[in-house]
Amino acid sequence: MIETVNLGKTVFSPEGALQILKEVTLKIDKGESLAIVGTSGSGKSTLLGLLAGLDSPSTGSVFLNGQNLTAMDEDGRATMRNQLVGFVFQSFQLIASLTALENVMLPLELAGDKQAKTKASALLERVGLAHRLSHTPIKLSGGEQQRVALARAFVTQPAILFADEPTGNLDSKTGNHVIELLFELNHEHNTTLVLVTHDKDLANRCNRKITLEAGAIL
Amino acid sequence: MKATALLAWRLLWRDTRYGELSILCFALIIAVSCSTAVNLFSERMQRTMNAQAAEFLAADLVISSSEDISKAWLDEATRLQLKQAKTIEFPSALVENDELLLASVKAVSALYPLRGQLKISDETESEITTTQAPAEGEVWVEKRILPALKLHLGDVLNVGEKALKISKILTYEPDRQGDFYSMSARVMLNERDLAQTHVTQPGSRLHYSFQFSGDEKALKTFHDYVKPKLNASQRIIDIHQNRPEIGEALRRAESYLGLLSILVVLISGVAIAIATRRYSERHFNTVAVLRCLGYKQNQVMTLFVLQFLILGLFTSALGCGIGVVVQQGLFYLLKSFLPATILQPSISSLLLGFLMGITILFGFAVPPLLQMQKVSILRIFQQQLEIVTPSAWLVYGIALSLTSFFIWFYTDNLKMTAIIMGGGLLTLFILRFFLTHFLLYTKRFLPKISLNWRFGVEALLRNPKISTVQILAFSVTLVAMILSYSVRTDLLKDWQLQLPNNSPNHFAINIFPQQFDKISSDFTQQNIHSSGIYPVISGRLIAINDVAVQKIVSKETQGDRAIRRDLSLTWSAQLPEDNQIIEGEWWNKTPVKNQVSIEDKLAQSLGVKLGDKLTFTISNQEVIADVVSIRRLRWDTMKPNFYMIFSPTTLDNYPQTFLTSFFLPKEQKNLLNQLVKTYPNVTVLEVDVVLTQLKTIFTQLTSAINFILYFALFAGLTVLFAVIHASLDQRIYESALMRVLGANRALLRRTHLLEFALLGFLAGLLAVLISQVLLFALYHWALHLTYSPNLPLCVLTPFGSAFLVCLAGFSCVRNVAKKPLTTILKGK
Repeated sequence: MIETVNLGKTVFSPEGALQILKEVTLKIDKGESLAIVGTSGSGKSTLLGLLAGLDSPSTGSVFLNGQNLTAMDEDGRATMRNQLVGFVFQSFQLIASLTALENVMLPLELAGDKQAKTKASALLERVGLAHRLSHTPIKLSGGEQQRVALARAFVTQPAILFADEPTGNLDSKTGNHVIELLFELNHEHNTTLVLVTHDKDLANRCNRKITLEAGAIL
Repeated sequence: MKATALLAWRLLWRDTRYGELSILCFALIIAVSCSTAVNLFSERMQRTMNAQAAEFLAADLVISSSEDISKAWLDEATRLQLKQAKTIEFPSALVENDELLLASVKAVSALYPLRGQLKISDETESEITTTQAPAEGEVWVEKRILPALKLHLGDVLNVGEKALKISKILTYEPDRQGDFYSMSARVMLNERDLAQTHVTQPGSRLHYSFQFSGDEKALKTFHDYVKPKLNASQRIIDIHQNRPEIGEALRRAESYLGLLSILVVLISGVAIAIATRRYSERHFNTVAVLRCLGYKQNQVMTLFVLQFLILGLFTSALGCGIGVVVQQGLFYLLKSFLPATILQPSISSLLLGFLMGITILFGFAVPPLLQMQKVSILRIFQQQLEIVTPSAWLVYGIALSLTSFFIWFYTDNLKMTAIIMGGGLLTLFILRFFLTHFLLYTKRFLPKISLNWRFGVEALLRNPKISTVQILAFSVTLVAMILSYSVRTDLLKDWQLQLPNNSPNHFAINIFPQQFDKISSDFTQQNIHSSGIYPVISGRLIAINDVAVQKIVSKETQGDRAIRRDLSLTWSAQLPEDNQIIEGEWWNKTPVKNQVSIEDKLAQSLGVKLGDKLTFTISNQEVIADVVSIRRLRWDTMKPNFYMIFSPTTLDNYPQTFLTSFFLPKEQKNLLNQLVKTYPNVTVLEVDVVLTQLKTIFTQLTSAINFILYFALFAGLTVLFAVIHASLDQRIYESALMRVLGANRALLRRTHLLEFALLGFLAGLLAVLISQVLLFALYHWALHLTYSPNLPLCVLTPFGSAFLVCLAGFSCVRNVAKKPLTTILKGK
């Protein structure tokens, strides 16, 4: 489902070149769940960004569903994201001016889905927010916002879900509730899950775990 | 304090890399340069007028009269050892080399000017000053006369029947007023040559100016001697009295420019407020950190106020510099109306502009700056901590007080300030209410429209208040532009359109009675259709039913204007064409002496009714007549029209000339030259020339006004930039998020384009609606023109506005969709 070959990322600053990711080669099968762990600055989020096509690598390639992401331009990658990928972020990343329903409808609308409202409402109901459809993010609690983000991530029924510290901004109780929901939905939709976390318990719930240190897999 | 100032300077310097300071500076420069330019323009005009007060009269004391004054007065002046000079002014048509030109002739006596100097030049253009009038047999002319009549220095110019040698070019005369009424080119000759021109005789419309200078005590005695003896058509003017001022239209243009500059200040103020708000918000964390590091609350405020002060000083200085250049532009655009020599501006006027800059900056920036004082030190732990926003009363109170002060400053009229503020606020409140509700109403239709449109509209709806402010800022500017353009073009075009074909296009005035028969037969021979020849007698209305008119008539009305000058009176046995009796009856075949028919609007303004007794003064004699009819007439027919028509024989014993109007097709224009040569005293006014002159006036005035309006437009764009900049982080974030969710860049570009196009379109549409309502009211009630909307303008304005706002707005956000997506993963 996901494959990387010698993936590397180097950034340039006035102090010189800095290699953030070094020759990462990995393969993730369909339906598999993978946790990426490591200390701060080890390159976890950079790897996630490259796998999801949010950033371009300096070396190597990324294949999603057999297609070479690195050979695509930004708009090509955007289409690929819309068709294949869902995201959950640490700080929810909801659009403040849109209601919960509109936030969940957005990826469907971008894909031109005529059933956007029905599907979004159903999924919000599934995550327990049927009574919060017309609320804007500012009126929702952190846990509710992350549940909206989960609904948005799964509404297009993506083949792959990328989650970056999904419980990082939540207290442990709310975090656990969100994680339960994430894995339930993952199971229901048979989604490939790639998860970046500091939380060992969360990492242990995944099928596989890789640890990054100084940009390389240990 | 020095350390704080240095820290303020360093922080300010570091802040220059962020956009809002550039926007703030840009808005302030626009406001300061515009208001400085208008200040300098007004101040230089005032200084020129004041410094030349005595020179404006060319004497210490002047008796202005439409007829010669009593010899006894002149003898009294001689007895008091006052120096005397005399000028006689009248319009005259000059014909040379088959070219015709209407000139303003001034015959001057030997001692003219008693005060100030004349400036003349020869063909080498070196200007010299002189206090000597032209010698006998010579004439001095304004430079533009030479090419217009294909003449050179040394050639002969015929004024009436007298051939005079053009010896000098006249470049300056002290008592010439720079106004619209002296648009005609000047010809100056010696008074002793006047009689031989044969262009004047009793009844001709002449303007006499008897000038005196000398010992102040003697002048006072002479003033007291003459004052009680003056008749209604005479005025005594000394340098302490109302001196001739610049033309009314120019004065109004000056006020209008002042008000427009307030508009610019206001719109710039909005941009300053938005940019400062963004600046403050960006510095909340800085404030929390500074306080954590031991800075006290007031020290923090001092630090930021100092930064703004440094910014204000630099920017205001730059704005003043630009203002100096801009006011030169204003003088250039209005040069034909203004005196040739304008005094330099005073340093105080520049200082005023400078102070204005600091005032504008703090007036609009204080409320957002005060927010910083409210930043909690706990923000260091919890960034989302809410900031207490300043009270709306404070925000609007400061802005309103500042605006009221500026309006009062420019108009020097409390009542007008109250009307403008009241009317303006009410209009803005209503417009804002409707616009905000319109924007919110459109939200209902969002689900039904395509994604691009939806996102575009949503961007506008995100903050309806800010969108409304932006739309209003552009609309108000566009309304002012549409009004200035439409009134200029429509006034002339509509007037010309309303004239029927073959309506008279020439007026002939100053026809002597002995020429009456011959000129009538000449017209018949040449197949020229005239609209009747009427006698003209100068006279002034002084009383209604034995009550002095000054006590009856209110200021600034049509009646007031009519009683402050000599009226052209006439008599006629027949009711003129296009005149309609609406009250009373026209006299029958055996008219009774001392009856008068009055025009209806003047009668209404003066409160005159049928049977009222009107007293006129004509050539120092009183004429009393009863009102027997009230007439309605059309002023735009280009036919001789009169406020007062007397019954035949009433005015028989008074000196009179005749007036007519006639139609002459273009191909017969050469007949004019023949006419003027045959009757040198007759002055021919060409309507198309007058229209061209009017067009020049309108064009120059509106160019000056538009010049200032461009500043308003730039200020409007600055508001747009400020708003976009304030929302730039949000835009970058949202578009990144949209891209993460699969939106391509083309969709984001289209969304931005649609948002700005919609903003511009709505502003344009609103501007069209408001301007058309105002134009309708203006045409219907003030200008009495038929209102017909300018469809191309109405259609083009919204699209033009959409294009402009799109261009400006998109240039700010073009890079938004190019930012790296990984920034979003790092958390907002």
